Amino acid sequence: MPALRNKNCNYISKKEIKITFDGKSYSAYEGDTIASALLRNNIRLIGRSFKYHRPRGIYTCGIEEPNALVQILNEHNEPNTRATVKRVYDGIKICSQNRWPSLSFDIGSINNILSPIFSAGFYYKTFMGPKGFWKKIYEPLIRRTAGLGKPPKNFRSKSIHQNHNIDILIVGGGLSGLIAARKLIGTDYEVLLIEQDSFLGGILKNSNKVKKVDGKNVFEWVKETEKLILESKNIKILKNTLVTTYNFTNHLIALEDKYAGKKIDINKSELILHKIRTTHTILANGHIERFISFRNNDLPGVMLASSFEKYIERYGVVADEKPVIFTNNSSTISLVKSLINLNCIPSAYIDSRKIDDIENDTKEYLSKNNIPFYPESEVEGCEGNKKVEKVYIRNSHNKISFINASMLCPSGGFNPDIHLFTQSKGLVKWDDKIISFKPDTAFQNTITLGSVSGNYEFKNLCKEINKKLSFLKASDLNLEIETNIRDDFSIKELWETKINKMSKWSKSFIDLHNDVTTKDLKQAINEGYDRIEHLKRYTTNSMGTDQGKISSINSLGIVSKILNKKISEVGTTTYRPPYAPLSFAAIAGRSTYEYYDPERKTPIHNWHIKNNAVFEDVGQWKRPWYFKRNETETMHQAVQRESRQTRKTAGILDGSTLGKIEIKGKDALEFMNLMYTNAFSKMKPMTSRYALMLGEDGMIMDDGIICKISDKHFIATTTSGGAPKVFAHMEEFLQTEWPHLQVYLNSITEQFTTFNISGPKAREIVGKVFSEIDFSNEKFPFMTFKTFNYKNTQARIMRASFTGELGYEIYISPQYALELWELIFKYGKDFDLVPYGTETMHLLRAEKGYVVIGQETDGTVTPIDINFNWMIGKKKKDFIGKRSLTRSDTAREDRKQLVGIVPLDKSQFIEEGQHIVECESLPSKIKKPIEYLGHISSSYHSPNLNHCISMAMIKSGNKLMGKKLFVSTPKGTKNIPIEIVSPVFIDPENKRLTS
Amino acid sequence: MILINCPYCGEREQSEFTNGGEAHVIRPKDPDALNDKDWGQYVFYRSNPKGIFYERWVHSHGCRKWFNAVRDTSTDTILKIYKLTDNKPDISEFQNTLESPSGEPAVGSGNFAVKK
Repeated sequence: MPALRNKNCNYISKKEIKITFDGKSYSAYEGDTIASALLRNNIRLIGRSFKYHRPRGIYTCGIEEPNALVQILNEHNEPNTRATVKRVYDGIKICSQNRWPSLSFDIGSINNILSPIFSAGFYYKTFMGPKGFWKKIYEPLIRRTAGLGKPPKNFRSKSIHQNHNIDILIVGGGLSGLIAARKLIGTDYEVLLIEQDSFLGGILKNSNKVKKVDGKNVFEWVKETEKLILESKNIKILKNTLVTTYNFTNHLIALEDKYAGKKIDINKSELILHKIRTTHTILANGHIERFISFRNNDLPGVMLASSFEKYIERYGVVADEKPVIFTNNSSTISLVKSLINLNCIPSAYIDSRKIDDIENDTKEYLSKNNIPFYPESEVEGCEGNKKVEKVYIRNSHNKISFINASMLCPSGGFNPDIHLFTQSKGLVKWDDKIISFKPDTAFQNTITLGSVSGNYEFKNLCKEINKKLSFLKASDLNLEIETNIRDDFSIKELWETKINKMSKWSKSFIDLHNDVTTKDLKQAINEGYDRIEHLKRYTTNSMGTDQGKISSINSLGIVSKILNKKISEVGTTTYRPPYAPLSFAAIAGRSTYEYYDPERKTPIHNWHIKNNAVFEDVGQWKRPWYFKRNETETMHQAVQRESRQTRKTAGILDGSTLGKIEIKGKDALEFMNLMYTNAFSKMKPMTSRYALMLGEDGMIMDDGIICKISDKHFIATTTSGGAPKVFAHMEEFLQTEWPHLQVYLNSITEQFTTFNISGPKAREIVGKVFSEIDFSNEKFPFMTFKTFNYKNTQARIMRASFTGELGYEIYISPQYALELWELIFKYGKDFDLVPYGTETMHLLRAEKGYVVIGQETDGTVTPIDINFNWMIGKKKKDFIGKRSLTRSDTAREDRKQLVGIVPLDKSQFIEEGQHIVECESLPSKIKKPIEYLGHISSSYHSPNLNHCISMAMIKSGNKLMGKKLFVSTPKGTKNIPIEIVSPVFIDPENKRLTS
Repeated sequence: MILINCPYCGEREQSEFTNGGEAHVIRPKDPDALNDKDWGQYVFYRSNPKGIFYERWVHSHGCRKWFNAVRDTSTDTILKIYKLTDNKPDISEFQNTLESPSGEPAVGSGNFAVKK
C-alpha cells in the first residue's frame, strides 16, 4: 500500500483505486495524476526521450511537463498524454512510450551512443543524398523512429462547443484570481472564472509559501471563497478547463475535460470547447518554474523544486526523503520547510548566490536543521544508471565533490506565464529584478494580476489588484496575507553551470522534450543561425508539445551570453496558440463523421440502392456512378454495357442533382443577357438553349440549359456542384451592380426531380408514359419544352440532349418522382431501358464531344478555347466576361484549345491527365525539360466505336487537326502514337438530336 | 473569429458571413470603352492595405444581403458597417490604428513582442 506521507494534504481523496502501468498493477488514490500515483509507488523511470532514447522521469507537476508522456491504452490508445496532468481512475491502463522491447531495456537507446553524430541540424545535413536514399532508406527509418506514442486505434472522440458572452473573464483560480473574483461578487458584471486544475487555490495548494489569508488557514479561505462565489449570481466557475487561445477582439478558447479523473463514457461528450467573448480579460494564470542546464540534467530523479513541493502539498506524495536542492533564488526555502515539517531532511542545499545575498532567515533555518549548505556553489552534474545516484557539486573554490542522493531538485527562477498575454498581442518587457519577461503594454482589454504580471510579492498583491481593477468600481478588498517565507524575491542569473567533461555521452540539455543540448545551441550559432527564430527551427529547441515552457527563457539567456547581447535584444520567439496541445476532436465538435457534411440524396435514392448502384459524391450529393448488374460485373463492364444499350435503345439518368434556378421579374430578360454569354432576346417563349456563364475574367464558370417561359420568366439549370456558386453569383450582381433591375431569384433544385431519357427509343417510351402529349418531331422539336399538369402538380418536359441521342428531360414534383420513375421502367422494359450513372454519362458526352465543366475546363478556359464561339452573343453590348474575351492574352491564337485524340493503334488506351509530347519515347534520364504541348482531359473506351477516345487541351489545337503526336503513359518511357481529330466522334451532323 | 453586426440581422458569428473583397470597386458602365490595361485593373487588381480597409461582406448563412464594412486589417477590428446604399465613410472618421502597440511597421509583418 503506497504511503500518504503528507497526511495533512487536504486535496487528495483517501479512496484507494487500482491502476496499471506497463502491465503491472499499482495502488493509487482517487484524485491522483498518473505522475503522483507513480511517484507514490516509487516509480521514477517513465519513458524514453525523443531522439536519443535516454531514460526519462517526471520533471514537473503540471502542464509544463517535457518528459513524462504516456499512452492511455483504454482510451482509444491515446498517445502523448501528460502524466503530470491526466488524472487516474480505477482501472486506467497506462503504457510508457518510445521504447522497445521494454522501458528499462530499449534498443533505440543506441542513438545515445551514436549521439555525437546527431547534432544540431542533423536532419538537414544528413538526409541530403545520395539520390534515391530518401525514399528507400531515410524516410522509412525516420517514420519508424520518429514521434513518441503510437497513433490511436478505432478513434471516436466526442466533443461539443459552448459559447459564452460575458463581461469579465478571469483566467486562473489561484490566489490573485480568487481575490479578483471575490471583489466582483454581487456586482453587475457577468464573470467567468476558469481554473485548469480540479481545485481552486493555485499557489495556496501547491506550496507551503502562504500561511494564512485574512487570518484563516489557506484551505479554509479557499473553501470559503469558493462558497461565496458559488452563492453569487454573477460568477460562474469552470474547473478542469484550460484556456488555450487568446484571439483578437477578446475572443478566447478554453477546453474543459468533463471526464477528468473519471472513466470516459463512450456515449457522452468527453470534452467541451468553450468559445468565450468577453469585454475584459483578467489574466491571473501565474508563473512557471524554469530549470537549469547542467551535466545529465535529464536523468530520472531530477525534478523542479517547486514541482517537488507541489507533489507534497497538492498530492501528499513525498517523492524522496533526502533530495538535493539546487537553487539560484530565494523561494526554494519553502520546499525545505515543507520537508522539515514532515521530518525529512534534504541531503544538501546548494545556492548559487553569494553568501551575503542569501537571506539570513534561510541561513539560520538551514543551520538550525543541520542541512548541509553549499553557498556560492552549483551542481556540476549528476550520474547514475537510469536514475540519479551521485550529484557533483562545484563549491565556491571551484572544487568538485560528490554526494550520494537519488533525487535532485533544481530551481532556476520563475517566468511569468506570458503565453496568453503575448497571444493577445500584448507587449512584454525584460525585468532585471526577476530576470524574466513580464507583461508591459496590453493590446486589448487585458489585465494581468499577481505573478503573471511579474509581482512575486504577496504583501503588495491586494494593493495591485485594487489598483488595476479600480476602473470596475468594485469595492476594495484588503486581505492580510501571512507567509512562511520572506516575501521579497531575490535571484541570481544562472542558465547553465560550468561542466567538467566526463564522457562523450553526458549531456547538458536545454530542451528535454526534443533532446536539444546547450552544445547544439552553440553549434547552431557558430553555423550562423544567430537569429532566435532561425535558431529555434534549426535546433528544434522549444518545438516540442511542451513548447519549452520550463526552458525557452533559459535558451534566450544562453544565446544572449554567446552573442554578448542583452536578452531583450535577442527577443523571444512568437507565442502562438494553443497554449497546450488540444485534440482535433475538440476543435471539430459535432462536425465529425456522419455529421461532418450533409449528404444530399435524390428521391430515387432507395431505388438506386435496390438496383445495386455504386455511388459517387458530387458536391454533397450522392449520385449513382454505375449500376452493377451482378456480383461479378466490373465497373468497366457495367459502363460499357450501359453506354452501348443507351445508344442502341434507351437509357435513363437521375439528373435531380442539377441545380435549378427560377429567374422572374420585369427585367429578367435584361438580367439573363448580362449573366450569360448567349443572346436571349430573340429566343421564342417555350424554347430552351444551352448557355454559358463566364467570370469577369472571361473564363468559363458554369453551363446549363435555359428555358424561356417569357421575357419575364426563365428557368436556368446549373451543374450539380455549381448550383450554390451560380446562385450566389447572380445574387451578388443583382444587389451590388444592378440594384435597379427588378428580378427575383428562387432556388428550385429540390422542388423538381429530374430524369434524362435518351436513346433512339426514348420517344416511344415517353409517348407511352405521357400518352396525352404529342412527342412527334413537328409538334415537339429539339430545344423546346412543354409544361403540363401531373396529378395536380406542375411538371415540365424538355427535349434536349445530354448524350447526343434523342432525349427528353422530365421535371416532376418529388412526391410523384419515384412512382413516375417506376412507371417509365414499366413501359421501358419492352425497349430494354437501362438505368445509367455518372460514368456512362461522361462517356456518352465524350463520344459526342460535349465538354464537362470542371473536366475539360479548369478556370483558365474561355468559350473560344473550346470552340464555343457560336454561343457568344457578339451583338450584345455587354455581359459578364465579354470585355475580357478580347484582352490580348485571351485572344491569343496559341492558347490551349479543345481537340479530340485517337490512338493510331486502336488497341491502345490513353490515360486521363497524361501529357501530349512530340517525342516517341522519353529518355531514361531526363536532362532537359521535355516540351509539353497539352494534356488529356477526358479519356474513355468507347463501346460504340470500339476503341479509345480522348479529349485534350493542347496549344494551338485548332491548327493541329490531323497531326500525329505522342501521349505519355503512367509507366515506362514508350509513348503512345496518336492523331489529333475533331472532338465529335459520333453523329457530327446532329441527326440523332434533331430527328 | 470576429463578430459582425449585419445591418439587417444584428450581431452574428463571422462563420455566417463570406468576405467579398474590396468595396467600392464599381463595374465600368461601358467595358468596351476601356483599354486592356484599365480593364485588367478592374478585373484583377485590388488593394491590400495593412490598416484601414473598405470591404464587402455577405451574410451568406443568414439574410444573404451584401453590405460594406471598414476594418482595420492589422487588428481585425471592424470600425464601421454600412449598407450598400450609404455613402462611403471618409477615412478621417477612423482613428489611424496602423501602428500596433508592438510598433510593427505599416507594411509587412514581424515579431516585435518585446518592448524596445
